[in-house]
Amino acid sequence: MGVAVLGMGICGFTPTSTGLSYREMIAKAAKMAYRDAGVTIDLIDGAVSAEEDFPSGYSIADEYVPDQLGMVRKPVYTIPGDFMHAVASAAMQIETGRFDILVVESYSKASNVLTKDEMTRFAFDPVYNRFGVSPHWLAGLELNSFLMESEYTIEEVAEVVVSNRGAAISSITSPYGDNFTIDDILDARPVALPLTELMVAGYADGAVIAVVGSDEAAKKYARSPAYLAGIGWGSGNSILERRDHSFSAGTAVASRRAYEEASVVSPYEEIDAFFVSDVYAHRQLMHLEALGVHGTQRPVVNPNGGALGGGDLFEATGGARLYEAFTQLRGEAGPCQTAVDRVLVHAWRGIPTDSCVVAILDNERRSS
Amino acid sequence: MSNRVAVIGVGMTKFMRRAQETPGELAAEAVRMALEDAGLERDDIDAVTLGTAPDAFDGIHMKGEHLIAGAGGVDKPYMRHFIGGATGVMSPIHGWMHVASGKYNTCMVVAEEKMSSCFPHPAGAFVTIFDRVTEQPLELTLIHIFALEMARFMHVYGYSERELAEISAMIKRNALNHPAAQTAVDISADDVLNSPLLSWPVKRFDISPTSDAAVAIILANERIARALKKAPVFIEGVGFRLETAYWCTRDLCYPDYVAMAARDAYAMAGIVDPVRDIDFFEPYDPFDYKALHHLNALLLDKTGRTVRELFESGNLQPEGSHPICPSGGALGVGNPIAATGLMKIAELYFQLSGQAGKRQLQRRLRRGVAQAWGDLMQAGTVVVMGADGASPITSSRWNDMKREDLPGTPIKSVDEVANIADTPDLRYAWDNGFAISTYLDGLKKGKIRGSLDTRTNRMMVPARSFSEIGDLAPVTNYFDIGDTGVVKTFTISHINWDSSPLAKGKVNIFAVIALDGINEDMGLVHKLGDIEPEDVEIGMRVKAVWKLKAKRSGDILDIKYFAPLGEGKIKLDIKQIKPVEMDVLSMAQKLGKIPLSYRYTAGIAGSKFYADLGKGKINGTYCAARDEVVIPPAMFDEETLDMLDPETDAREIDPGSGRIRSFTVVFEDRQGRLLEKEQVVVQVEFPGVAGSVFGLLEGVAGDGVEEGMAVKLAGGGTMDGPDRVVFTLKETPQPVKLKK
Repeated sequence: MGVAVLGMGICGFTPTSTGLSYREMIAKAAKMAYRDAGVTIDLIDGAVSAEEDFPSGYSIADEYVPDQLGMVRKPVYTIPGDFMHAVASAAMQIETGRFDILVVESYSKASNVLTKDEMTRFAFDPVYNRFGVSPHWLAGLELNSFLMESEYTIEEVAEVVVSNRGAAISSITSPYGDNFTIDDILDARPVALPLTELMVAGYADGAVIAVVGSDEAAKKYARSPAYLAGIGWGSGNSILERRDHSFSAGTAVASRRAYEEASVVSPYEEIDAFFVSDVYAHRQLMHLEALGVHGTQRPVVNPNGGALGGGDLFEATGGARLYEAFTQLRGEAGPCQTAVDRVLVHAWRGIPTDSCVVAILDNERRSS
Repeated sequence: MSNRVAVIGVGMTKFMRRAQETPGELAAEAVRMALEDAGLERDDIDAVTLGTAPDAFDGIHMKGEHLIAGAGGVDKPYMRHFIGGATGVMSPIHGWMHVASGKYNTCMVVAEEKMSSCFPHPAGAFVTIFDRVTEQPLELTLIHIFALEMARFMHVYGYSERELAEISAMIKRNALNHPAAQTAVDISADDVLNSPLLSWPVKRFDISPTSDAAVAIILANERIARALKKAPVFIEGVGFRLETAYWCTRDLCYPDYVAMAARDAYAMAGIVDPVRDIDFFEPYDPFDYKALHHLNALLLDKTGRTVRELFESGNLQPEGSHPICPSGGALGVGNPIAATGLMKIAELYFQLSGQAGKRQLQRRLRRGVAQAWGDLMQAGTVVVMGADGASPITSSRWNDMKREDLPGTPIKSVDEVANIADTPDLRYAWDNGFAISTYLDGLKKGKIRGSLDTRTNRMMVPARSFSEIGDLAPVTNYFDIGDTGVVKTFTISHINWDSSPLAKGKVNIFAVIALDGINEDMGLVHKLGDIEPEDVEIGMRVKAVWKLKAKRSGDILDIKYFAPLGEGKIKLDIKQIKPVEMDVLSMAQKLGKIPLSYRYTAGIAGSKFYADLGKGKINGTYCAARDEVVIPPAMFDEETLDMLDPETDAREIDPGSGRIRSFTVVFEDRQGRLLEKEQVVVQVEFPGVAGSVFGLLEGVAGDGVEEGMAVKLAGGGTMDGPDRVVFTLKETPQPVKLKK
């Protein structure tokens, strides 16, 4: 049984969003997604939310999911993972044959969290890894490991920022678009050297909603669906002392499964654009390597500006990449449009994790 | 068509008030046991899914990520699911999705909770489950909302405190034969009634304990289950439903969401009449009344008559026609939230495959049902399992399992073992948005405000800008409504939000109040005042007592409390108002924080690590399966999930033989403020061992550090956290340019 994205909706995608509660923001995005998917609320069987507790400020974030989606009393649960993990979970539900159409939701009110670094630090192992310094220490150390073990230079890492934030200038959903030079990036304020401030995505508020369903539902209701050809997820070692910090094992595990399902053999040749987590600039390159796309190749990556251009939306970050990929597949990406028939969406959960999702989407269902 | 999914193995730790193990170590113990029970190795597992309840318990943001290694998820598809207290029965449902979809052949399902890390008390984690604007300022905790529900349940269904105490005593007694049981005891209803009163009608023995534990089960498709020649027990039906978060807008006496989830599961399992078709029940029983409250819904009987008859005839007992909680339930085995739900699934597996030992129900069992509940009286998860011709196993180690056979290291106090204290500074300023800003503006003016949902003809309190049950239709008409109403349910509390006792003689009376002149089910929660506790009654009429105008700030506490109104007539004055202007001043944020602290046990392996460091030593742990020594010390090998002993498998490492594997120079502190002096964090490797140690490098500036430099462990002395792991260079470095 095939699974498709029937429609999507967003709200926010700005550094702050005063004037909208999280509920109001999500409800707006949900209405947009339902209309885009061509479905009414009564046709939707349930919802999967992608949220963690502390970004929401609630001890049980799951409580506050159903109302603003119109999903009260329906089958609803939370995946404390990236939006793309929730898409994978929803896809499995549909593939059981017992659900037809589901809604996937995530949001960020990052501007409401006054101590974001403290919260990130709180994700580290308290016994071995929770130092008194900025949690970015791990990203800095990881960048150093990546530079030592790979062929990449720090200038190429900086080029990721230049490219993505440059692309974001043309994207209406990317608040951090700007013109930078490589020197601007390298000379920016040091955070955890060799990591500088401009190599880290800024935060943004926003809600992302996707309506996913069976191929039959897509055919019946959606004006322009995207078809899920493969989806995989995986996690590297959570014991940081025994993790290879120069390579994303989680991405490799996830991509193996996604490629197998989508029958992808040569990703660079077969995939037209890569929407890859770049919450830290070096992670874009590290993820591409694990996806089997190497430095000498020049794929289309994050044509809408990625997270560096669009912001870190907490668990909704992968959803933003899916939204960009979805609009690209439909030919509705405006000035950011590139020619695509098949795209790859990648998500990473941020430090201290190496948990990733890889999805391959097509603008029409290919025969297997 | 879904693939059939079977449970083929179970593992669990002891249920303990406080465990020495870390969350990951607890999970690993349960997973190893499940692998052995199923006769599989980690390589045989295709995917892992983990259920665990609030991060606020274990004290780790993104707790699921932290648990990957212990759950066996390294380099595998791994995903956490979460639905509050209902998580434990969602766990097999999420695992079922992995296998029933055809995506995977096998799935490890793990549930873990380490509640004891949370201080001052795990109950404190619940203060922030309530709505941050309209409820949290009242300092409610979970016991309060249970007590409100229990009082309502007793009022509607006519149960006495003694009858509910009998349920507690029965379930705790059932647990006497459960090997993992933490609070199994043979007590009488009188003992329950005489236990300390916490928040009327809730007494201490009405409640399950807080617990640390992990449970794991292995799911497989039918082909694998049959091939392994186990006695597979199949998941025949699943259901999960989530109600509105506006919990004061519905009658708490009956959990419709559980009944809906049950109907879904029964439809899938082909069950027409649950009274006839289900042989035993594991309803979630965090409180004694909850077992009956949930059973009403599982039997799809809102009248409650069926359960009442079964209770009065003794048929809920293990020897009865419809036994409940033969495991011993949350009340007797313990309540490590998510792990409790999965323990109930394990009980269905044990009972249906003849592995329940002395707990084995003495009749032919075809089907059992397990259920969990969670969130704000809101989530229901239900699983039906069936034996489907499986032959009862006659020899199983589970039949003779004793508590001492189960893994887990109970401790009385965190002070007994190496531990690390940490208090996160988690602060927020929440955007109230348009509707709540309008609501708070009303409170400042001494008015309760609602908004009129014309689709469903409801005046909604607190005001909302969309209809959550009316297709998200826009709601634009706001009204000042009356501040009088009727008490729907109440509790008389003797405890604070963190479970500490109130000052002697002081009580807080919380009530759900249905406001006059609008829909009966549109209530709010607040305190009662100007009344003696013994005079409070369900159905009494009350009126808001407001703070003086000059002291009101646009907060739910602008209402001091609700006081008795008597029978006098009131004049209802419902008037449409203009909502607030949308500008940055009126859209002010509500400030909040997570008010918790943590003390983390260093675990079995961490205790070794810190004990050694205190002596200036480093030990690794020898893993026989991979024939290598790993650092830091380990209680389990994350590649095989083999158990290790950090003491007997210890291998000493020269603390002066380290080399810098990687490093970073950090310029900001934990909150992002600039450090006065940069700090270097190093990853240090040692020759001939796998792994590394992270620490701070002292005695050298950042631009003097390079990969490969030789370092030695500094010092000894008190070792109480990562910041005390310090290295120094073995030789004075020549300045080099940092790679940048």
